[in-house]
Amino acid sequence: MLKTAVKHPEVLAPAGTPEKLRIAIDYGADAVYIGGDAYGLRSRAGNFSFEEMAAGAKYAHERGAKVYVAANIVAHEQNLAGAGEFYRHVRDAGIDAVIVSDPSLIETAITEAPGLKVHLSTQASATNYETLNFWQREGLERVVLAREVGIEEIKEMRQHTDVQIEAFVHGAMCIGYSGRCVLSNHLSLRDANRGGCAQNCRWKYDLFDIPELGQKRELLGHGTDGKLEKFSMSAVDMSMIEHIPDLVDAGVDSLKIEGRMKTVHYVSTVANVYSTAVRSYCEDPEHYQLKQEWVDELWKVAQRELSTGFYYGTPNEDFQLFGKRRRLPHYAFVGEVLAYDDDTKQVTVQQRNNFGVGDQIEFYGPHFAHHTQVVSDLFDDKNEAIERAPHAMEIVHFTCEQPVKPGDFLRAQSKL
Amino acid sequence: MTELVATVASYDQAAALIAAGVDRLYLGEDYFGLRLPHSFKPAEIAEIVELAHKNGRKVTVAVNGIFHNDRIKKVAAYLEKMATIGVDEVSIGDPGAIYLLQQAQLNLPYIYDAADLVTSSRQINFWGKHQASGAVLAHEVPYQEMVPLSKQIEIPVEVTVYGAIAIHQSGRPLLQNYSNFVQEHLNKTDRERGLFISAPHKEETHYSIYEDLNGTHIFANNDLDLMLDLPKLWDLGLRRWKLDGLYADAGNFVKQVATFAQARDLLDQGQATTDALQALDQTVHELQPAERGLDNGFFDLDPNEVK
Repeated sequence: MLKTAVKHPEVLAPAGTPEKLRIAIDYGADAVYIGGDAYGLRSRAGNFSFEEMAAGAKYAHERGAKVYVAANIVAHEQNLAGAGEFYRHVRDAGIDAVIVSDPSLIETAITEAPGLKVHLSTQASATNYETLNFWQREGLERVVLAREVGIEEIKEMRQHTDVQIEAFVHGAMCIGYSGRCVLSNHLSLRDANRGGCAQNCRWKYDLFDIPELGQKRELLGHGTDGKLEKFSMSAVDMSMIEHIPDLVDAGVDSLKIEGRMKTVHYVSTVANVYSTAVRSYCEDPEHYQLKQEWVDELWKVAQRELSTGFYYGTPNEDFQLFGKRRRLPHYAFVGEVLAYDDDTKQVTVQQRNNFGVGDQIEFYGPHFAHHTQVVSDLFDDKNEAIERAPHAMEIVHFTCEQPVKPGDFLRAQSKL
Repeated sequence: MTELVATVASYDQAAALIAAGVDRLYLGEDYFGLRLPHSFKPAEIAEIVELAHKNGRKVTVAVNGIFHNDRIKKVAAYLEKMATIGVDEVSIGDPGAIYLLQQAQLNLPYIYDAADLVTSSRQINFWGKHQASGAVLAHEVPYQEMVPLSKQIEIPVEVTVYGAIAIHQSGRPLLQNYSNFVQEHLNKTDRERGLFISAPHKEETHYSIYEDLNGTHIFANNDLDLMLDLPKLWDLGLRRWKLDGLYADAGNFVKQVATFAQARDLLDQGQATTDALQALDQTVHELQPAERGLDNGFFDLDPNEVK
C-alpha cells in the first residue's frame, strides 16, 4: 500500500532563554519548553520571568508554535505555598501547557488555574497505558513517557489510549527511572527531584564485596585496553534521527529534544535537523530517505556517544560510557549573520567565538540551508583589514560568494 | 495504637514475627512488588494471610512496581486474586494499577507507595482523594518537614523506622553491563551476592547494589534506625512504623522487630524513657549485620541543608 502524507507530529525543543526560544522556533521547532522562576528542575538554566513568558508565547503563537513551561519538581512541604498563583501567572502569560510531575502540583494547576493545560512530566516515569488512562481521566492533555518505553510499547499504548503521547528523541538520559533516583540527595545533599541533581551516576565507583568482616575485596575489571575500569552508571546520549518513521508511525504526538541547559548552537542545530527530517517523512513517507548530512549535523553538537536508548530493547554496555571516550569532532559556534549585501557579496557577522582568515567555516540556517567556505578576507567595523576576530560580539564582515540570511549561524571545526 | 509493619521472608518467619508483636506483615511477589526479601506465589501468600488473620494481624501485599504494558495487563487479575484470598491491603506506586483497582471495584484498600516521590501532605491528600487508605512517606523527608506535614495529612502515613533504604532504581542491568565491558564475569549480581559500591574518595562508604527482574537497585550507605526518634514520630501522630528486613539476617530481623515492638509498647503505654530507648537501641546495634552501618538518615537534617 502506498503511504500518503501522514500527520505531522510536533518537534519540541528546549529553550533555556528567550533568545533560545526565538532561535528554536526560527529553526523549525513546532513547540518549545522553558522554565519559570519556580517549580522547575533546571534551577541553573536561564529561567523565564512571567513577562518573558508572555513575550515568548506571543513570538511563538505568531509563528504557529507553542510554548510549554516545565514545573516538574517533586514538592516538599515548604515548596507548596504560592503554586496556585504561579500557575495562574503562567496561564495568563499565554503559555500553552505546563509540564508537571508531582500529583499535588498537577492538582493545584488544574483546580487553581482553570484553563491551563497540563502535561505529565517524564519524571513521573509513565510506562504503561493504564497510567496514561489514569492521567487522562484526571484531565491531563498529554503524557511524556518514561525514557524506558520501547517503540513496540508505544504502539500498544496507542491502541489503548488517546491521550497525547510525547517521547524523548534526543539528548542526555537518566541512567535510572526518572524521579526514582535520589543518589544525588544521599551522596551530595542535592535533591535530584527539586533541580539539584549532581549527576552522581556519572561518577567512578569502586565495586566490592565483603567475604569476611573487615575485608573489602575489589571486584573491578579491566577494559580491552588493559586499563582498570571503575564501576560507572553513565548513560550515553540518545538520538533517534535514524528512526523518525518508527516514531511517527507508532503514534507519538510530540518528539522531544532534551537540553534546557544547552547552547544556542545545540538548540538551533538539533531543532533544524529533527524538524527537517520529520517534515520530509510526513510529506512523502513512501519516498522518505534518511540523509547522512542530518546524522553528521547532530554529531557536530554531540557531547557524548549516541544511542537509541530503550526504543529497541534493554540497553547493554554499549549504551553506557565505559573505557576511553571516543573523541568527538568539536565544532565551535563562531557567529551570527546580521546582514548580507548581494552587490558586494559582503556578509556582516556578530562574532561569538574567535575565528579568522584561513579558517574553514560553515554557515547554517533554518530549513537546513548550508554553505561551507574558507574565510579569505576579514574587516572590522571601521573597514580595516584584520586577520582574526578575537573579541566577543564584535561586528566584522568578509566576502561570502553564496548569499546567506540574517539569523543564519556560523560554526567552525575546532583544531583537535 | 501504634502499628508495626514488617517484611516477611518465609512462612516460619511470619509466625515468628507475629509472636514478636508485629501488627501487619508486608510481603509479595517480585513480578509485582519491589525489593522484597522473598518472592511469594499467591498460594503462599494465602497461607500467610490465613496465619495472620488467625492471630488477629493484617497483611499488606506489595504491588508497587513500575509496570510496563506486559505487566500492567496482569495486574487486574492479580489484584482480584489478592482480594479473593483476603489480603487486607496492597501497596501501589503506579497510577495505572490504581486505575485498574478502581475499575475492578474490589474490596481491597491500597496504600500509596512511590518510594522517594511521596514528599508532601498535599500529594498524600491527593492520593487520599483517590481512595488511598494511607501513604508511605519518602525517606528523604526530614523531621522538620514531618511536623507541618503531620498536621495537614488526611490519611495515615507509614514511616520506615528500620532497614535498608533504596535510593536508585534503574531499568538497566548496570552490573551485567559493567561485567560485560570488563569481560570478567561477576557470576552473580543478585542480592545474596552481597555487592557494594563506594563513592570516589570515600572508601569507607558501602552502598549495596543488586539486580533482579525489576532492574538494578542501589541502597543508602547505612541502614535506617529511628529507635531514638520514635517519641518524636509518636508525638506527631505518625504511628505506622515499618521495618524492612531486606538485608537482615532472618532470625535477627525477628529480634529487631521484637525490640521495636517493646519500644512501641512503652510509647503506647506512656512509659518510654530515654534510658529505656537507648537500651533498646543498643540491642538494635548488636543485632545489625556487622558489615552494615546504621544511622537515622535524613531525620535530623535541616531542610535548608538540602539544595
